[in-house]
Amino acid sequence: MDAPLLVVKDLKTYFYLSKGVLKAVDGVSLTINKNQVFCLVGETGCGKSVTALSITRLIFYPGKIVGGSIIYEGKDLLKLPENEMRKIRGKEIAMIFQSPMKSLNPVFNIGYQISEAPIVHFNLKHGEAWKQAIELIGKVKMPDPEMRAKSYPHVLSGGMRQRSMIAMMISCEPKLLIADEPTTALDVTVQAQIMDLLLDIKRRSSMSIMLITHNFGLVAERGDEVAVMYSGKVVEGGSVKDVFNEPLHPYTQGLLRCIPVGFERKTEIDYIPGTLSSPINPPVGCRFHPRCKYATEKCIKEEPKLMEIKKNHIVACHLCGG
Amino acid sequence: MKTESVKGTFLKKLETKSMFKLTRLKEFLLLLLHYKVSCIGLCIVMGIIILAIFAPIIAPKHYAEIDVPNKLQPPSLAHPFGTDALGRDIFSRVVYGAQIALWVGLLVVLVEASIGISLGIIAGYFNGKIDKIISASADIVWSFPTVVLALGVVMVLGPGITQVVIAIAVTSWPGFTRITRAKVQSMVNREFVLAARAIGESDLNIMLRYLLPNITSTILVLATLTLPSAIISTTALSFLGFGAQPPTPDWGAMLSEGASQLVIAPWVATFPGIFIVITALGFNLLGDGLRDLLDPKLKI
Repeated sequence: MDAPLLVVKDLKTYFYLSKGVLKAVDGVSLTINKNQVFCLVGETGCGKSVTALSITRLIFYPGKIVGGSIIYEGKDLLKLPENEMRKIRGKEIAMIFQSPMKSLNPVFNIGYQISEAPIVHFNLKHGEAWKQAIELIGKVKMPDPEMRAKSYPHVLSGGMRQRSMIAMMISCEPKLLIADEPTTALDVTVQAQIMDLLLDIKRRSSMSIMLITHNFGLVAERGDEVAVMYSGKVVEGGSVKDVFNEPLHPYTQGLLRCIPVGFERKTEIDYIPGTLSSPINPPVGCRFHPRCKYATEKCIKEEPKLMEIKKNHIVACHLCGG
Repeated sequence: MKTESVKGTFLKKLETKSMFKLTRLKEFLLLLLHYKVSCIGLCIVMGIIILAIFAPIIAPKHYAEIDVPNKLQPPSLAHPFGTDALGRDIFSRVVYGAQIALWVGLLVVLVEASIGISLGIIAGYFNGKIDKIISASADIVWSFPTVVLALGVVMVLGPGITQVVIAIAVTSWPGFTRITRAKVQSMVNREFVLAARAIGESDLNIMLRYLLPNITSTILVLATLTLPSAIISTTALSFLGFGAQPPTPDWGAMLSEGASQLVIAPWVATFPGIFIVITALGFNLLGDGLRDLLDPKLKI
């Protein structure tokens, strides 16, 4: 197998608030291989988005990346000077955000915005970049690209805006596309279309996608690898097949149980009791122990480490062979 | 929301009447003329601009032409606004004065806005120390009375119109800085700025191409509303003798010349005074109109 595209090791991103240090990402390690859909799942506030932003180093005051390394093609992104990093953003690693409604500049037409990245990275002339933008708009399957290039974001629908956003981000043919809940703000049919589009682009241009999502259906259908995060840590990771067929961590099991199955008639949907613990004051030991029904003495005292239970399936739980 | 419907129906009427698609500029100008307030403002401002541009044609005499035998004549057909203590035609001087008032006003706003906006964007974009330093200096400058501080600057640099422009611009930029900073701060955490960073834009590019275009409407309104106060400040300094030197027909200087003869020849000071008021009023009305029109909440 090829060398991995991106290796995140022991990444720590903390936010220094007046209330205390919020450890949004506390020792996350991930490996993203080439030409793969890597999924990152977990509930709201567990540090998925901060992990993604840390990879492109878009963490701002009061946040700070305090430790770890992000190796991309032999370079540690955390040690690059800012102007080198700027060359990586957009060109090598691009990012799609949650809300297409807010991710476009309201005062320029989308053609201009799509041609922006090639101008910055490849010094293209405006005319050439504009032609390329029209091509890209066609590529993301919007009808009548020449007319659309002249439209302003406020006249486009949510799906179209997300398509423009994708066009903007693939304009420099990045090797890794981070999609931070790209379909959250869209309705179900458009969600499917956008995902199909992303995977289609992935297939054609051999890039990797890091997909951040709450949607397990999406992961099961389209993902290759998955990592489950809880309270700033990865609790389980591996190939989608393994994790879905044999979830080892009680949290993953709980999450999977929460998905309602169509043909079963239930009066109540399963849920994991309790709420996400405060990341400012995380519980000692396993961070999941207050909500875990299997919690033992050891879980309260000692923090479990990630262990490879079998090939390509890691889990951090005392109950699984630890 | 009443305005919205009025705006909408007015435009529809226009579209059907003219049968062709209006360009955005035309549409904007027509809307501006549709409202009484902005229409009056625009007319006054246009009038003053025409006076300034065609001053040599409109004015019957040169502003410095002395005619001592005819001094302190009351308004008549030959001298519509009368003559001053040296027999100069006040109408001609007022007309030429429009040039100076507009020129100085525009220059002050231009200098003031470029200092204020650049500092404001920098302060809003970079949080932390830079922001604190810029905001603190803005607060300090803002707490000085403009005219008094400008007097100090003129004392150092000497009297003259250029010095007045510098003096006023240096003392009143915090208005622009504060508003720009607030606007930028409300925008800098929006996702499109993050997206711009994610495609590898530099800080300067983000400031100039993403933030600045999004605050132009605010700046335009603010500039229009700052212009009259700039004109008034310059006339005040000229009135005190620090601005334009004779025989330059500055309205403020004319006011101060006429002030001593206010009892025997009231027209000498009255007409320049009226023009100062009208000009300031015109720009204020236009600024108010622009603000209403450019308010994003009232978009059609």
